[in-house]
Amino acid sequence: MTVEEIFAALEGKFDVKREPLDKWGITAVVAAPYLHNAVQFLKEESGIKFDMLVDIAGIDYLTYPNHEGPRFAVSYAFKSMKNPGARIRLKVLVSEENLKVPTISDLYANANWYEREVYDQFGVIFEGHPDLRRLLNHVEFVGHPLRKDYPAQKRQWLSTNDYLLPELEKRLEELGYKVIQRSKEVETNDNEFLEGSIKE
Amino acid sequence: MGNEAEKPNIITSSLDFLVNWGRSNSLWPFPYGTACCAIEFMSTEVGRYDLSRIGSEYVRFTPRQSDVLLVSGTITYKQAPILKRIYEQMAEPRWVIAMGACACSGGFYDCYCTVPGIDHIIPVDVYIGGCPSRPEAFFDAMFDLQKKIKDESYMKQRAESVKEQLEMIKVKTAEAKCEAKTAIHEKVVDIKDFMKEKQENLVKKAQFWKE
Repeated sequence: MTVEEIFAALEGKFDVKREPLDKWGITAVVAAPYLHNAVQFLKEESGIKFDMLVDIAGIDYLTYPNHEGPRFAVSYAFKSMKNPGARIRLKVLVSEENLKVPTISDLYANANWYEREVYDQFGVIFEGHPDLRRLLNHVEFVGHPLRKDYPAQKRQWLSTNDYLLPELEKRLEELGYKVIQRSKEVETNDNEFLEGSIKE
Repeated sequence: MGNEAEKPNIITSSLDFLVNWGRSNSLWPFPYGTACCAIEFMSTEVGRYDLSRIGSEYVRFTPRQSDVLLVSGTITYKQAPILKRIYEQMAEPRWVIAMGACACSGGFYDCYCTVPGIDHIIPVDVYIGGCPSRPEAFFDAMFDLQKKIKDESYMKQRAESVKEQLEMIKVKTAEAKCEAKTAIHEKVVDIKDFMKEKQENLVKKAQFWKE
C-alpha cells in the first residue's frame, strides 16, 4: 500500500482534502470531528502503519498572505518505523470562535506534551486531554505568546515558583506509594501564591 | 620546627588584610548552569585550566557552603524566582558572577520568555562577555573579583552592621539616665520633706519640754 492509496482511503472514509500549498503533497486537511478516527486508521489499519508521531505544530494564519478560512491550524506529522520513507501529515483547521480539537494522547503517549505545548503557545483546547496545563510558560502567564497578535517583547514576571507537588504526589500514587503526611516546608501557604497559580 | 610551633607567636597585621586574604583565596563557586556557558565552566574547572590553583578548590552544589554564585546561561522568567531563592539562601559574604551574554543582558533572546540580564533579579559583581565566554575570560573575572574583595573592608562592614545597635544602645542609655535623674530628684525631695517634718517634730518636742 503506497502513500497515494492511503490518501485515497482517507478521502473515501474521512472526507479529507489534499493541501495544495504543500510542495511534497503529503498533507491532508481533515475536519476536527474525524481527526481521532483518521489517526487511529493511520496507526492501526492502514497498510503502512504510521506508528510514530513526529510532531504536533500549531499555526496562526493571522498575517499569512492571501489566506482565507479559519485563523488557526494544528498540524500532525506521522512517520512509519517499518517504511522510513513514508510520511504523512494531517492538518486540522480551527476557527477562533471554536478553539477545540479532540485529543490523540490516548493513541500516542508523546502527544500529551505536544498538545500541552500547542495549548500553551496558541491557546488551542484539546478535548479529552488528561492534564491540559501550560508546558513552557509559567503559571502566571497571561495570553498565548506565539499568536501573531501577542507583542513578541511583552515580558511577564513570575512571583513564586511553580507549584508542582500535586503532580509529584499523583505520580507517586501511580507507582504504589501513599502520602501519609507532608512536612511543614512543602505544605501550601496561601500567602505565597498569587492569583492564577495552580493550587489545590 | 615542632618546638617553634609550640612557642607563643605574635603576628602583626591589619585585620582587613588578613580577612581579605582568606576570603579572596578560597572562593568556592556555586554553578548555576543552564546553557552552553556551563560547559565552558566545566572546562575551566578541569586539569587544563585548573580553577583550583587560585583557591576555588571545590564546586559546591549547595548555596549554604559557597561564596560565589556563578550564573552561566539563559535565565527565563520561569526560573527567575528559583535563582532569587538560591541567592537568598547563600550566607554572607556572597558575590555573583554573570557569565556570558545571556546572563548579562539576555543575549540575542529579545523575547517574551527571557530575563534581560540577571541584574533585574539579584546584584551582580562581575560581568563576563562572550557567547560562550572562554575559560581565560572566566579567569580574568575571578581575578577582578579577587581585586574587588581585597578592596573591601571587613571592619567597615562590621561597623556599619553594628551601627544601628550602637545608636539604639545610646538612646537607651540616655533614657535610663533621664529616668534615674528624675527618680533621684524625687527621692531628694522626699528626704527633704522627711527632714523638715523631723525638724518640726524636734522643735515641737523642745517647746513641750520647755513648757
